[in-house]
Amino acid sequence: MATGELLTPYDADAPGRRASLLGLATRGTAFLPVLALVLLLPRQSGDWTNDAIFAAIYAMVGLSMNVLVGYTGQISLGQQAFLGIGALTAANVVHTGTNAPDPFTFALGMVCAVAVSAGAAAVLGGIALRIRGLYLALVTLVFGAVTADAVFTIPSLNGNDAGVSAYRPTAIQTDYSYYIFAVAMVGVCLYVDVWIRRTKVGRGLIALRDNELVASSFGINVLGYKLLGFVLSGAMAGLAGGVFAFWSQEFSDKDFTATAGFNKALIFVVMVVVGGLGNRAGVVAAAAFFALLDPILSGIAHSTGWINYYTDHKAYISNIIGAVLLLQTLIFNPGGLGQVLRPFTRWFGGHPFSLHDEHGDAAAAALAGGSDVRA
Amino acid sequence: MSVLEVRDITIRFGGLTAVDGLSLAVNEWEIVGLMGPNGAGKTTAFNCITGFYKADEGQVFYRGQDVTRLAPHRKAALGIARTFQNVGMVKSETVLENLLTAQHTKSGYGPFQALTGMTAVRQREKELAAHADAILELLGLTDVRDRPLGSLSYGTLKLLELGCALANDPDLLLLDEPSSGMGPEESHELGERLLALRRELGVTMLLIEHHVPLVAAVCDYVYVLNFGRLLAEGDPDHVRNHPEVVAAYLGAEVEESA
Repeated sequence: MATGELLTPYDADAPGRRASLLGLATRGTAFLPVLALVLLLPRQSGDWTNDAIFAAIYAMVGLSMNVLVGYTGQISLGQQAFLGIGALTAANVVHTGTNAPDPFTFALGMVCAVAVSAGAAAVLGGIALRIRGLYLALVTLVFGAVTADAVFTIPSLNGNDAGVSAYRPTAIQTDYSYYIFAVAMVGVCLYVDVWIRRTKVGRGLIALRDNELVASSFGINVLGYKLLGFVLSGAMAGLAGGVFAFWSQEFSDKDFTATAGFNKALIFVVMVVVGGLGNRAGVVAAAAFFALLDPILSGIAHSTGWINYYTDHKAYISNIIGAVLLLQTLIFNPGGLGQVLRPFTRWFGGHPFSLHDEHGDAAAAALAGGSDVRA
Repeated sequence: MSVLEVRDITIRFGGLTAVDGLSLAVNEWEIVGLMGPNGAGKTTAFNCITGFYKADEGQVFYRGQDVTRLAPHRKAALGIARTFQNVGMVKSETVLENLLTAQHTKSGYGPFQALTGMTAVRQREKELAAHADAILELLGLTDVRDRPLGSLSYGTLKLLELGCALANDPDLLLLDEPSSGMGPEESHELGERLLALRRELGVTMLLIEHHVPLVAAVCDYVYVLNFGRLLAEGDPDHVRNHPEVVAAYLGAEVEESA
C-alpha cells in the first residue's frame, strides 16, 4: 500500500518530463483559437485594426518594463521617454516627406530607433546605477519630463512643431498588414525575453534583484548587469517607439508631452505589476488590456448613451480602473495575471496541466517579501 | 606560495577598529579555521578578503597576485567562492536555477550572444545543467532539483549553498559558519564532507567556525580573533588549550603577564 506521497505535488511533473507527440498535437490545436483571435479578429474593421496595433505597441513596452522591473528589480517612471526617443529617431531617419520609404530605409529607421533608445537607456542607467528605490523613481521621472520638454521640442527634430511624417513602406501600407508586422515585432521581443530567461543574462538580473551581495559572490558584475537591464529594456521600448511612429505615420511631440508622458509612465508600471512581474504571458495580456481599455469603454459608452460623460471623464475612469486592479493585485494576487494564467501557459509549454504550482507561488512570495541576506 | 595571504589588514568603521592588523595565510590543500567570539571581526575580515569591504590598510594576495582592490565578482571569476552566514542564494529561484546562476563566470558566451539563442548557447546551457546535476548528485540532493528554495529546510539550504560555491569549480573556498543551525551529528557529517571535498576536488578552505569539535576534526591550522586582533594561532589542539582563547570565549579575566 503506497502511503506518504501526499506532499509530492504531481508525479507526472517529474524533472525534464515533456509532453508526448499526441500531447503536442493537442496543445497545438488548443492554441489555434488563440492564434486565430490574435491574427484574424483585427481584420474585421478599421478601428479594431488600429487599436490592435496600439495593443501590440503596449505589449512591447510591457515586455521592456518586464526586463527592467520584473527581472532587474529597478523601477522606471521614464519608460515613455524611450518610446518617444524610438519614435523620434525612426521618423527622422526615414524622413521621406510624402513618399513611402523603401524597405531598406525603413529597416534602418527601426534599427536606429532601437540603438538610440538603448543608448539613452545606458545614459539613464549609468546615472541610476548607484541609487535605488524612491530616488531611482524620482530620477527616472525627471528623465521622462526633461526628455519631453527639452528633446522632443527641438524644432529640427519634430518638424518645426508640425510633426515629422513617417509613412509606411508599400509592403505593409494597409493597417492590417502593418498589424501583422507589429505582431512580428512583439514576437521578436518575446524571443529575446525567452532567451533572457533561459540563459545567464536572466539569472544574473534576477540574482542581483534578489540580493546584490549574493549576485557578486556568484561572479555577477552587478553594476554591469544593472546597466545591461536598462539597455535591453530601452532597446525594446525603442522598438515599440519605432512601431508607434509608423503606426501614427508621424512623430509629433504632442503625443509625448511631459503630462501625457507621466500618465503613460504610471500605466506602464501598473500594467507590468498587474500582469505579473517576470511573467511574459501575463505582462502581454495586461498590456493589451490597458491598451484596449479605452476603445472598449468608449464602445460601451456609445451603445449605452453615456458617451459624452465618458469623453469628459475618460482620463479618470481608466486611471481608477488601473488603481483598483493594482491594489487587487498587490493585496490578493501578488503574482499578477501571469500567476492566474500560469497553469495554462505551463501546459502550453509542455508540462502536465496542474493548478498547483509551487515555483510560481514561491517566486511571487519572494518578490513580495524581498531578501534579507547580509554579508 | 600561499593560496591566500592576508597582510596587516585593518578596517575601521568610524571610531571602531573592526579588524586590526590581521595577517593570515592559507596554504595549498589546507583547511584553515578562523575562530573568535561574536563581534570579533571574523565576518568583517571575510568581507575584506572577498572585496565587499575596502580595507583601510593592508593587502590580500591570492596565489601571489595582489587582489586587495579587486571587485567581488572578479574574485569569484578567479576561483574564490564564498558562502554566507545566513544562506546566500537567490530565493525566488529553484535549486537548479541557483546552481546555474552560480556557474555564471564559466558560461562561455557573452550576454548579447545569449539573446540570439544560437546553438552554441543551447549547448553550453546543457553542459551547465549537467554540471549542476553532478553537484546535486555529489551532495545527495537530486530529489530537490526543481524545488523552489522556499520549500527547503535550513540544513538543506546550507548544504545547497556549499553546492553553489562548488559549482563554479573554486580553488579557494571561504565558508562563513557552515555548521550554524546544525546539530552535533549533522556537523560531524559536514566535517566528513569537507574533508572528502578536499580529497576529491582539491579545494583549499578558510572557514569561520564556532563549533570546536568540527574545527578540531577538519582544520590544519586555526587563527583566533578577539576585538579585531589576532589572539592566538596554531594547530587546533594548541589553540583549544590556549589560556587567552579560553578566557575570550568564557569571559574570564586573564592575569596581565606584565
